[in-house]
Amino acid sequence: MSTIWLQPKTLPEALAMLAADPALTPFAGGTDLYPAQAARFAWGEALPEAILDLGALPEFWGIAADATQWRIGAGATWAQLRDAALPAEFDVLRAASCQVGGAQIQNRGTIGGNLCNASPAADGVPPLLALDAAVELASLRGTRTLPLGKFLLGNRQTERAPDELLTAVLVPHRAGDLRSGFEKLGARHYLVISIVMVAAMVRMEAGRIAEAAIAVGACSAVAQRLPALEAALRGSRPGEVAVTPGQLDHLAPIDDARATGAYRREAALVLVRRLLARLALPEALVA
Amino acid sequence: MSMSVTLTVNRVPHTVQLDDPRVTLLDLLRERLDLTGTKKGCDRGQCGACTILLDGRRVNSCLALAISHDGAEIQTIEGLAEGGALHPVQAAFIAHDAFQCGFCTPGQIMSAIGLIDEGQAGEDPERVREGMSGNLCRCGAYRGITEAVIEATRSMAEDAQEKAA
Amino acid sequence: MSDVQRMRHGSSIGLPVTRRDGHDKVTGQARFAADNHPTGMLYAVLATSRIARGRVAFLDVAAARAHVGVVEVMVPGNRPALAIHPDDKSVPFSFKMDLLQDDRVRYAGQSIAVVIAETLEAATEGAALLAPRYAAEAVEVTLDAPGAFVPETVGVGAPAEQRHGDVEAGLDHAAHRIETTYETPLQFHNAMEPHGIVAAWDGDALSIDMPTQGLALTQMRIAAFFGIRMEDIHIRSPFIGGGFGSKLLAGPQVLGILAAKLVGRPVKLVLTRAQMYGPVTHRSATRQSLRLGAAADGQLTAIDHHVRTATSRHDDFLEPSGGISHSLYASPAIATTADAVRLDTGTPGFMRGPGEASGSIALESAMDEMAAACGIDPLEFRLRNYAEVEPITGKPFSSKALRDCYAQGATTFGWAGRPLAPRQMRDADGLLVGWGLGTAIFPAMMFQAEARAVLRRDGTGLVEAGIHDMGQGAWTAFAQIAADSLGLDIDQVEFRGGRSDLPNAGIAGGSGHTATAGGAIHAAGGQAIARLTELAVADPRSPLFGAGNVGVVARDGRLVRWDDESRGETYGDILARAGLDMVEGQGSAAADQATAEQYSLHAHGAVFAEVKVDPELGQVRVTRLVGAFAAGRIINPRMVRSQYYGGMIWGLSFALHEHAAMDVRTGRVMNADLAEYRVPVNADVPSVEAILVEEEDPHVNALGIKGVGEIGITGTAGAIANAVWHATGVRVRKFPIALEAFSGA
Repeated sequence: MSTIWLQPKTLPEALAMLAADPALTPFAGGTDLYPAQAARFAWGEALPEAILDLGALPEFWGIAADATQWRIGAGATWAQLRDAALPAEFDVLRAASCQVGGAQIQNRGTIGGNLCNASPAADGVPPLLALDAAVELASLRGTRTLPLGKFLLGNRQTERAPDELLTAVLVPHRAGDLRSGFEKLGARHYLVISIVMVAAMVRMEAGRIAEAAIAVGACSAVAQRLPALEAALRGSRPGEVAVTPGQLDHLAPIDDARATGAYRREAALVLVRRLLARLALPEALVA
Repeated sequence: MSMSVTLTVNRVPHTVQLDDPRVTLLDLLRERLDLTGTKKGCDRGQCGACTILLDGRRVNSCLALAISHDGAEIQTIEGLAEGGALHPVQAAFIAHDAFQCGFCTPGQIMSAIGLIDEGQAGEDPERVREGMSGNLCRCGAYRGITEAVIEATRSMAEDAQEKAA
Repeated sequence: MSDVQRMRHGSSIGLPVTRRDGHDKVTGQARFAADNHPTGMLYAVLATSRIARGRVAFLDVAAARAHVGVVEVMVPGNRPALAIHPDDKSVPFSFKMDLLQDDRVRYAGQSIAVVIAETLEAATEGAALLAPRYAAEAVEVTLDAPGAFVPETVGVGAPAEQRHGDVEAGLDHAAHRIETTYETPLQFHNAMEPHGIVAAWDGDALSIDMPTQGLALTQMRIAAFFGIRMEDIHIRSPFIGGGFGSKLLAGPQVLGILAAKLVGRPVKLVLTRAQMYGPVTHRSATRQSLRLGAAADGQLTAIDHHVRTATSRHDDFLEPSGGISHSLYASPAIATTADAVRLDTGTPGFMRGPGEASGSIALESAMDEMAAACGIDPLEFRLRNYAEVEPITGKPFSSKALRDCYAQGATTFGWAGRPLAPRQMRDADGLLVGWGLGTAIFPAMMFQAEARAVLRRDGTGLVEAGIHDMGQGAWTAFAQIAADSLGLDIDQVEFRGGRSDLPNAGIAGGSGHTATAGGAIHAAGGQAIARLTELAVADPRSPLFGAGNVGVVARDGRLVRWDDESRGETYGDILARAGLDMVEGQGSAAADQATAEQYSLHAHGAVFAEVKVDPELGQVRVTRLVGAFAAGRIINPRMVRSQYYGGMIWGLSFALHEHAAMDVRTGRVMNADLAEYRVPVNADVPSVEAILVEEEDPHVNALGIKGVGEIGITGTAGAIANAVWHATGVRVRKFPIALEAFSGA
């Protein structure tokens, strides 16, 4: 909680405020900030001093395409991502958006917040990794673009400098027979924090996999792509290449209250296999 | 720091002076407008008891700062029954015994109205259950809740058809 | 008198009346405690300990006090005096409390200060500014803690050890023996409504809004703490947002009363969700070792049930899990024993089905294992071991329709044809399907209650009892009983409850509230009718003159002759002629020792579960739950069904979902929130059905009520665990069943 609340009306104003006081806590949907705050309070820890409310920034909202890429405003909510008219490669993100928290959370939580919060179980990360997304960071010093994989450094750690705001997520255009999907495993059937997530996007050409991008979440500090599997799949027919445990070796799942690391590793393998099998089905285009 | 925020709550405009920017929408409704029908079950977006409609969408009011929502349109449980006549969702909750202790009920009902308005679940029980899963009920009234939402969905659709005809 | 009573029933009792508090609850008008806001009210926020054992070495009281809006910070040094020590337990059902008596910390989440401010925001910030420092000591928080001891009693005064027959001989002679150990987790009630209070002093008089399952007990406890008279304490508790045993007595809310005294203004104190994982009791973890013996034909020869549980380092509550083995299955030899360890946690307490819930999942699992060992269908196995008399005492049951429960439940579920071996059924998607069964049982308890009933000259009635509605339907069921007790339509009876200035209606606990307070209401109405009858039959001007008490029936606002219903008159006429505005009756009800000595008093049920298990991921989904329960007279079938559904969902949660994960180094609950303490969501409960099996009990109490609030959790948890085995062939003995339980299966 804070006693200072600032609500800039433009991005430059916001960046100036942040430059003046990098300790400001950026605030959008509140779906991560409030639980974190409650947890801090529960254990007698200090609360955030001041809030930078991003709710009035026009630059934050909206989903639009230009010649080269899609630009998703950092303030896009899960509900907006769920409901937006986006092409098939975004099915993976749409499916993830439907499973973040409950509908009330989907109406408030934002993609930018999900990335900046950088939970290992962030539902938005694997889909965006599979889509080769980049993030746009702005500060008074200028604007830079980083691949998402470079932006995320670890559990709750990102490349965002204290004076920077994440303003947008950028996803390159793709063409062709694109199929994407998402699998989430949790200990409840809904309203649950992920134990394992798998996101995949494949481009098919003449019955073969021309390109595959697969990412696994909640099995390492930062969600990981599976480059060995992706390389093995390239040029193969669906079902031809077996998914092996070795292709997931670089994951580093941990034991926690939700599941053991060993289970996570097994479940990730199962979910990758299932998702690829599902995407290989022509019906996946319709679903 | 004194600020003011103007909200339209249940069609009535309220301007509230805030001496503190930390006030959530939930606490504003409960502690400053005496609209205590909206409940605080967890204060961190994990139970759904504080669900309201904010500009027509169901949200956890415990996750929103009041000061952020100047000019917003809010609907709470207190604004549903018109002239004493219960909203179809409210009536269905009674008919299907969709609650026991009643503490989560205002949030369940607001969530149900949001769900029906979203139009995604229809009368499919599985989708209704998922769509209502942002609202915990520790008494375990889920069966009644699902039945009530389906019945209200149906009766509201029929009412809409009649009006259109 | 008995004929009059019998005849009066039937017009309202038994009808599926909708909730009388329903309108208030669906419109947001139902005022829960924290919805109150007296003039001048301040907000109090608890600061709680992050260590589980040690001392508070420093609190930055000055920083908190300096924060804008903070009015006062209550710490041990300035906390108003209490008349008794917080560890005093002279009031029944009370536990030692932590009311800032000193700097000691006995568990994580214990209150260490209270910040009182003009706004909730300022109080919260003030509490955060206290920045406590501690002198921490090493903690013990697991069942393997050193110093295990054998308690004298478990639960509420039950002997920790009970024996019947020779268990070792029974095991020696058994054709089949199993020895298994089951583990159940630490659980927290997590009612949706956090514990809260609005307290206002007026001199030595105290006005309180607080949810409580025991108005009079709470009043007594607070009176003792503050050295004031019970009648000077007025508690309003019209709605309890879920209690499940955690709101029986005033908990940390007493700090709100102290805060109000300290600042001389009304104070509201509401616990945060995280603060509900420390001072408001919980269900201890258990480790239960069962040894069962059975003859070749499947007849049990012995049940040995040992329970390891835990209590706090400073106080005693021992989860009485072994009790269920006393009364459920016939066996010539039964032994139940217990030991316990002391932990640096809050004190455990009553949590829905205390003992029964945790004991049931172990016993039902063991019975299933034995049925498999004998190669007998689990239902047939239970029927072969059907207890015709209570096994451990030999007493007859006051009534027992369990056979009907098995039969009706099995038919509705479609149990016939269940393959004996596990892992035989799959659905179209390749999921493993399993069916399991558990028997439900819960004692029919009575406490003590009083009520007052009035018949008015205008033909209406008034019934008063300090009853408690925590969702079980008290406002409705008691109004139904009240109406029938007065021979009136339910809408002609004003019913008052939920306040401490009414007759003491006992407690809402032990599934005994409807029986006890209902019995008192029934008796009060009966006395009012009897007095009215005395007036009429002694009055030569009455058509009932000379009929005598036994010959009169009260119905629809009239007294009529038993043998000729055309002869009678209205209550109003009788009162008017007597020149009276009203006639009043008092009633009380309590456990009848003679009945309890003569009979075993229990409700029973049978729960059938279908689960589907993902063979690769181990995800379990309960796809169908069918429970059939016999619990004596049903006052309101609509509300009783809801109680069964709720209990069964608790059983589902017990088997598959909820547990508190303890950090063994710090003694803190790591998942002290509703995201990670995973109670079921709507999507986890696809189909639940409850069958109300007819059962008439002439012995249990005046109304023949056995209670329905807790039985649903028993049987269900075991049924699900057994269905999981049937689906997978994997016997999971640690609950809740984890995803990884099936790895490699």
